[in-house]
Amino acid sequence: MSVIDRRLGLLFAAFVLLLALVLVRAAWVQGINGGSLSAEAQNQQVETVVVPGSRGTILDRAGKELAVSEDAATVFATPYQVKHPEETAHKLAKVLGGDEEEILGELADRESGFAYIERKADLNEAAEIRELDLAGIGLLPDSRRIYPQGELASQLIGTVGVDNQGLTGLEAAEDELLHGTDGEREVVRDALGDELERNTIAGAETGSNLRLTIDATLQAETERVLKGIAETYRPDGATAIVIDPRSSEMLAMASLPGFDPAHPESASPDELRNMATGFTYEPGSTFKAFTVGGALEDRVVTPQSPFDLPPTLQVADRVIEESHPRGYVTLSVAEILAQSSNVGAVTIGMALNDEFGDPQFGDRFDSWVRKFGFGSPTGIAYPGEEEGIVPTPEDYSGSTMGNLPIGQGLSVTPMQMAAGYSAIASDGVLRTPRLVLAEDGVRTDPEPSKRVISRANAEKLREMLEGVLEAGGTAEAVTVPGYTLAGKTGTAQKVVDGVYSETEFVASFVGFAPAENPQLLVTVVVDNPKGDYYGGTVAAPAFGEIARFALPYLGIPPDHD
Amino acid sequence: MEAFPRPRPFEQPRASLISRAGFGNLDPILLLAGIGVIGFSIYTLGVATQEDVPGDPYYYAVRQSIYAVIGIALMLAIARVDYSRFRELRVGIYTAMIASICLVFVFAEATRGTRAWIELPFFTFQPSELGKVLLVVSLAAFALDTARRSSEVRRTVRLLALGFFPAALVLLQPDLGTALVYGAVTLAIMFLVGVRWTHFAIMGATAASLVAVVLVIAPALGVPVLKDYQEDRLTAFLHPSNDPADSSYQINQSLIAVGSGGKTGRGDDATQTSKGFLPERHTDFIFAVVGERFGFVGAAFLLSLYALLIWRALRILTLSKNFFGSLIAGGIAAMLMFHMIVNVGMNIGVMPITGIPLPLMSSGGSSVIATFLALGLLQSIYVQAQLTSKRGLTRNA
Repeated sequence: MSVIDRRLGLLFAAFVLLLALVLVRAAWVQGINGGSLSAEAQNQQVETVVVPGSRGTILDRAGKELAVSEDAATVFATPYQVKHPEETAHKLAKVLGGDEEEILGELADRESGFAYIERKADLNEAAEIRELDLAGIGLLPDSRRIYPQGELASQLIGTVGVDNQGLTGLEAAEDELLHGTDGEREVVRDALGDELERNTIAGAETGSNLRLTIDATLQAETERVLKGIAETYRPDGATAIVIDPRSSEMLAMASLPGFDPAHPESASPDELRNMATGFTYEPGSTFKAFTVGGALEDRVVTPQSPFDLPPTLQVADRVIEESHPRGYVTLSVAEILAQSSNVGAVTIGMALNDEFGDPQFGDRFDSWVRKFGFGSPTGIAYPGEEEGIVPTPEDYSGSTMGNLPIGQGLSVTPMQMAAGYSAIASDGVLRTPRLVLAEDGVRTDPEPSKRVISRANAEKLREMLEGVLEAGGTAEAVTVPGYTLAGKTGTAQKVVDGVYSETEFVASFVGFAPAENPQLLVTVVVDNPKGDYYGGTVAAPAFGEIARFALPYLGIPPDHD
Repeated sequence: MEAFPRPRPFEQPRASLISRAGFGNLDPILLLAGIGVIGFSIYTLGVATQEDVPGDPYYYAVRQSIYAVIGIALMLAIARVDYSRFRELRVGIYTAMIASICLVFVFAEATRGTRAWIELPFFTFQPSELGKVLLVVSLAAFALDTARRSSEVRRTVRLLALGFFPAALVLLQPDLGTALVYGAVTLAIMFLVGVRWTHFAIMGATAASLVAVVLVIAPALGVPVLKDYQEDRLTAFLHPSNDPADSSYQINQSLIAVGSGGKTGRGDDATQTSKGFLPERHTDFIFAVVGERFGFVGAAFLLSLYALLIWRALRILTLSKNFFGSLIAGGIAAMLMFHMIVNVGMNIGVMPITGIPLPLMSSGGSSVIATFLALGLLQSIYVQAQLTSKRGLTRNA
């Protein structure tokens, strides 16, 4: 046998051996491992995707859309499948209008299997991206919140997070109602992540609608008026609450500064705050109406009761002064309110306690403050409502009763003030302010109401409050032709570092109309206005402006020619 | 016009059309096996790569058919030539091979880090594919040169140098898989020409220490010899489930494809390969496509066609009229075997990913045409053997 024949034999044997090996291995992979490998093939081709249920719509009382959800698409990348990161980032940035470098950064981690490129892109952009057919770039169904009225009522409506959960405002308060139910979908994909087929496992359900008591038109007008105040007086903040006192339904609730609800991430906490329920301040003179209200109901005074008033009044270590110094006068209770006499109001408050016990430690006065709703939240369906601070009689010092009757030494929210005045305007019945008119098409029931003062005394108070806007009153300049107005101004020094500031004030006004039969009540609170600071000149004109628009708009008939 | 045909000078039975065209003496089994593989390739590409090139479902099938026609024509042409004449041309053939491989360093653009292709107007040409066949022919000739007149050590060294020089050039492209083919062909020819076992033992020991240096010692000293992707590919098959994003991803996908084909295949439901999970499915991983689509039945059918090809190559080796023909046949048999075992092994996860094509199956003109040229050489050896035995000449060893 020649060398080549022997070696050929070896070569042939090697070939047969290797061929056998390959065949056995193929049989092993295909015959025995076949099942588990088929399952693996199935696994990497079928994927379960969550389809978010979109949130319900938030509507104004007339059905105008304030916040709606629309379908969107989330653009994601599977970075290790992206073939040309620079080119891909460039194309994506062009469609999405984003920053190319930022997108490139997301694609940089080549080991990563998932990265968000843009959440909640609109469907047109998504379609363009689908057209581009970029390797490693995919789309997921999503839903996003849009605000057809722009910044209107932004704090009130609140914000929604990327996972469609309510974060602030009504979106958070009513999240359970608004939030939809997520669905599930099975998607068969090819290696590039392109969909081949989709099957719905569980359908997504849209959340329920929420109809507010807010009137979008009135809200817009109120916000416009507030912006006017902001331009003139550059305050730290301002809020206006428009309410129908008969039902305590909020018609408008505006706060400045506002923010763009489409970009909540760029809003500061101040901008997100709804001042109407979240701002606490010493109310000052606007509070005098409640002092007088309690005294009337307890029959300590009548509107005509005369009081001999000194220019100043010493209460323990404190001297009560008038805002505009005067001599000795005799004023009726009505005049005390109209001219906003501090000495008069303190005298009435102390008289009230005198009648029922110790003039210095006034249980009776305190009970009236609390009956009108101060010291506890109003219960409005809005998250994070402040309750203010009302000192308890045990904690009173000698001078406390020289402060409280004129709205100092206690703090309230604009909403409490609006609710308390609504009780005066609606014949003495205190109601929880209403913000939600209907949930999922079903009208909500009002909270139980509570009588605070008699109908007759409420009427007397209203008459006295008319004086504020008549000649000699603190807001005499404010008029609305055809309507009799009533209200109360407030100019309170702010407490800065524990002492009353001589330069920072909260100017406020609460007014209603028509005075005899109030159907509209407006509370305006302006925090630290610059230039002027009187409630009668800063806040009252805003009331006038809102009322001039709102009374005819709401179809409330004039009460005189 | 003449009424009667004139008698022919030498009376012979009239030859059939086939034998007059010169095809009568071809090895029919080799011919059919080759045509069988390329036919199977065209069919597989036609059904499995319809979505690979948008708007042109039969892009790969049509191209493969064109290469098949060119390849078969060249095979038939070569079959009619007496291969023995190539022995005198050995220096020219060898020089042409080296020159064509060197061309890529001048002209070629890098594809995935490798410069192995030259762009021609209609066709991207890969000289190293054709070079395999040229190497077999020239090396067989050089082996006989040296067989007689010098010492065995000199012969061994010379053949090693001649074979490993082009291998080194190809490795520099860098194309490790093809370089390994060159090495395998060189070793096979040396083996068949009768290089001593002791020489092989020394070469084996040297190679083992080289591997140790390249893979372990040099990187440890901070001198990497292999590019990262090459080392990844070579070692990935040892730990296939590490990371779906790198080389082992291909092995995983290939295994899933082959495995999910089961016994009889998934047919048109074969999503692994048609939906893009498996990369390089029309070239390096076409065996996985066959496995998924046609199952074990299809895979076994394809492997038997290769078994036929290689059996015929080895058979022709024994039939050859001279030692030169035997060496060429042996080299070609080794080349086909190496390609088949390494490629199929890589598809089923028992060999590292070296990126060499499956002969006549993988889409690609250079490989198809070079393989048909090799089959043409085998046919030529077969035809010459037939003619020689008819003339009553003895085998010239």
